[in-house]
Amino acid sequence: MTTGQKISVTVNGVNYEREVEPRLSLGDFLRHDLQLGGTHLGCEHGVCGACSILIDGKSVRACLMLAIQADGLEITTIEGLRDPQGGHLHPIQQAFVEEHGLQCGFCTPGFIISTVELLAGNPSPSDEQIKDALGGNLCRCTGYETILRSVRLASARVQAGKAAAHNSA
Amino acid sequence: MVRDIPNSPDMLPITSTRYVGKAVKRIEDPALVSGTVEFIDNYSVPGMAHCAMMRSPHPHARVLSVDTGAAEKMPGVYAVLTGEDVKKWCNPMATSPEGWGAYCLAVDKVRFVGEPVVAVAATSRYVAEDALELIDVEYELLPVLVDPHKALEADSPTLFEENKTNVIQDRSYTWGEIDQVFSEADHVFTEKFRWNRCGANPMETFGCVCDWDTVNDYVTCRGSYQTPGFMALGRAGSFNLPSNKIKVISHPHGGSFGGKGGPRGTEIAALLSRKAGGRPVKYIEDRVEYLLAGAGQSWDRYYKASIAVKADGSVSGFKVDLLDDQGAGSEGWGTISVAKPLAAFTGCYRIEAAQYNMKLVVSNRAPTFAYRGYGPPPHNLVLESLMDIAARELGVDAAEFRRRNYIQPEQFPYTIPSGNEYDSGDYEAVLDKVLGMADYQALRAEQEKLRAEGKLVGIGVASTVEPGVFDWNAYSTVGVAGVGVPEGVKVAIDIMGQITVTVGFSLEGQGQYTLAAQLVADYFCVEMESVRVAYAATDVAPPHFGPGGSRLGVAMSGAILGACQKIEDKFAQVVARLMQTEPGNVELMDGHMRVKGVPGAEMHIAQVAGTMLNRSDLLPPGMEPCPEATYVWTAPNRNQPDDQGRCRSYLTAANACHVALVEIDPGTGVTDILKYFIVDDCGTRLNPATVEGQIQGGVAQGVGAAFFEEYVYTEDCQPLVSLFSDYLLPTIHEVPIAAKGDVVTPSPVAPLGAKGCGEGAIHTTPATLMCAVNDALFPLGVQIRETPMSPNRVWTLIQQAQ
Ligand code: FES
Ligand code: FES
Repeated sequence: MTTGQKISVTVNGVNYEREVEPRLSLGDFLRHDLQLGGTHLGCEHGVCGACSILIDGKSVRACLMLAIQADGLEITTIEGLRDPQGGHLHPIQQAFVEEHGLQCGFCTPGFIISTVELLAGNPSPSDEQIKDALGGNLCRCTGYETILRSVRLASARVQAGKAAAHNSA
Repeated sequence: MVRDIPNSPDMLPITSTRYVGKAVKRIEDPALVSGTVEFIDNYSVPGMAHCAMMRSPHPHARVLSVDTGAAEKMPGVYAVLTGEDVKKWCNPMATSPEGWGAYCLAVDKVRFVGEPVVAVAATSRYVAEDALELIDVEYELLPVLVDPHKALEADSPTLFEENKTNVIQDRSYTWGEIDQVFSEADHVFTEKFRWNRCGANPMETFGCVCDWDTVNDYVTCRGSYQTPGFMALGRAGSFNLPSNKIKVISHPHGGSFGGKGGPRGTEIAALLSRKAGGRPVKYIEDRVEYLLAGAGQSWDRYYKASIAVKADGSVSGFKVDLLDDQGAGSEGWGTISVAKPLAAFTGCYRIEAAQYNMKLVVSNRAPTFAYRGYGPPPHNLVLESLMDIAARELGVDAAEFRRRNYIQPEQFPYTIPSGNEYDSGDYEAVLDKVLGMADYQALRAEQEKLRAEGKLVGIGVASTVEPGVFDWNAYSTVGVAGVGVPEGVKVAIDIMGQITVTVGFSLEGQGQYTLAAQLVADYFCVEMESVRVAYAATDVAPPHFGPGGSRLGVAMSGAILGACQKIEDKFAQVVARLMQTEPGNVELMDGHMRVKGVPGAEMHIAQVAGTMLNRSDLLPPGMEPCPEATYVWTAPNRNQPDDQGRCRSYLTAANACHVALVEIDPGTGVTDILKYFIVDDCGTRLNPATVEGQIQGGVAQGVGAAFFEEYVYTEDCQPLVSLFSDYLLPTIHEVPIAAKGDVVTPSPVAPLGAKGCGEGAIHTTPATLMCAVNDALFPLGVQIRETPMSPNRVWTLIQQAQ
């Protein structure tokens, strides 16, 4: 048996102080200790991308990190994307709904997180750039067509949003 | 009163449909994109234990002793389950044919690497896995049955000793005058094909939480169950419990494709719960477990097949010899997938005679399970490859050769030699449309040009029929009894006019809850938001089966329409009483019950429901005040199979034609898919967006099977695949985005004219790609007859040619 270690992490803007075993994976910590079950585990060996989360804005596989390694870090999970007050979906989530970018939805949080990272760095990616950004996420249902379309739509929306904000400024 | 279920959307009681036939957004999606859906691993209860399993490292061995003493004493361990417990409390898995199932945990021997041997329930998965380290199992190695061709030999090791043979089934079917057809043929073409194991791999593995109420002997199993009713019945059989003492609750699950599994995991978790005094036990299969021993392996097949062709290019006969390596038993109902091709044995073609010799044997590889399509994908690859071989030998273009052999539109309903009846189709229209989209002539010209430059470029054309809406009679030939697969729903209208549809299956990706809401909303002319779809567990749901066999969309539509009609009939009685007329004079239109021919004499359905629930004084005397109805649908006009397995099994016959352009890099053997075109005809498209999603998803799985996915075993049956870095699922880089078109030939016999459409693309894609690769290789004088057509295999062939 191992003993606990204190960590402090900020997830979706909320700070959590917890005592965890050093061997606890970050994925299990988020899902079971913090009850943030939207980060899914499809392989637990770093290939499928279902467990993708953002740490300081960069996508990371929660299955390949230990909870103790997240001490002091800022994490965003899929649960952090919806607007907490109004409950509105994030524009990327909305685009996935509109373009039928999911079937079973198990891979979807991972794709959306990868898309958040992509569009933050490159708001109007080409199809090749989208494919490169999503090449590490597996989907067994959709055949990727509608995912690609969802990302295109999200990108267009983000652009339009920026333009609107710019014009009104 | 018995009414016909409408076979066209025009017959719905609404002036013009608002949802049916439209690409409406799915009601499932807001929660799924938010990450708030309760997949099984998101569910937990206080005091719940977690299960981990120790698995066999040997493909075939006797279990001499199991020492669990140290594990049982470890702090945090609630229970340790061994073969001894299982022998006492459980039966081997039911199979069809009988007697080829193992116990959920190894009893006395193991038959494949990864077979569970001991299971532990502990405070966490981490602690349970620690406890496994303390368990000692002593094995005596047994000779391994590696080569399925040797399964028949007298000195080969037997896996199920009591059966005294390794042959699960050996059957021949003959349909028509096959010998005469072959002897009279001008050409006979014969080839061998090898389809290596691949399988479902949904992104979520199997998981469950089971508790055994030891006071009442009542077992509750929650989990990612594709077919909950089937799962409950099977577990009742395993546990010797009455069927109404098992309750299965299906959670939304992350894909299934037939290969979700569950029986072993469920039984182990339930028995651990029993041993732990009734504490709930969670088991979440991990990906390594899934790849080694889950329900992810399918279709391990060796084919030898021939077609008979007349001088005019008409194909008259088709013979198939199949040796199917089922792995260590038939617990995965892999036998069914061998029988399914009977439903479309001769594809799109007017072939008068056929023969199927199937031999199903065991080996010391993992048991095989269902996978999307359930058998036809390899079968179609064989038939379509032979069509190409014949076309080439006769000097006829591949597309033209198929065209000459199609069943013609006026021939429907058409009974194929293996007995199934196709409902409708227009195969030539589908072909013409896809050739037009591909600009086929130009594509061939482009190929000529590139070939002249020394490039290995090929075009594949394949046509298939997708049997939809399965019935058990399709499988009676491998020992599954029954005619009819009931699918039931309950529709209830409340006092505020809000409508709830209760179904017996949960979400797994096809968008069926959305379809349910579309249908009900149009039937009663309400907003889709007014319809809620509720899941009911096996103890309270109407008879149901769930998704499988390209069936649920059609079957559920039939059930919903039947239930809506029953409510309409009840409402007609109420309104007739209030308006002093006969129920026959009252009809539903646009959400109102109207007296025919009397303008203004009408009531909204919410008013009628309210009257039923509130004002018994106004109802016809003795009327039950219930604005709800349950309807259980099964396909009409099904029959018992004859001694050659012939029957009307699958209700609908969808059709597709795919065209692919590929280029092979001779230096690496890598095939690039340059262009991909699909036209399909699945009758009425109830939600075109979800139909297209099914097609594109099937293309991806077909590409995987054709080029990447393979469960590789060593010469002594050790699996080499245990990670996603070994089992290669196609990514966004490998899957072509197919240009898609449709032809709509409604089914005359299915609800709203829709045909089963969940499997057509995986039926067709591997065949199309093999035809294309062989077309590319043709100038080199080599051909590939094995899947996956991995770079290594293709490169080796190219080397042989040089
Ligand atoms: S679960 Fe982390 S990459 Fe698959
Ligand atoms: S939607 Fe099911 S795995 Fe992607």
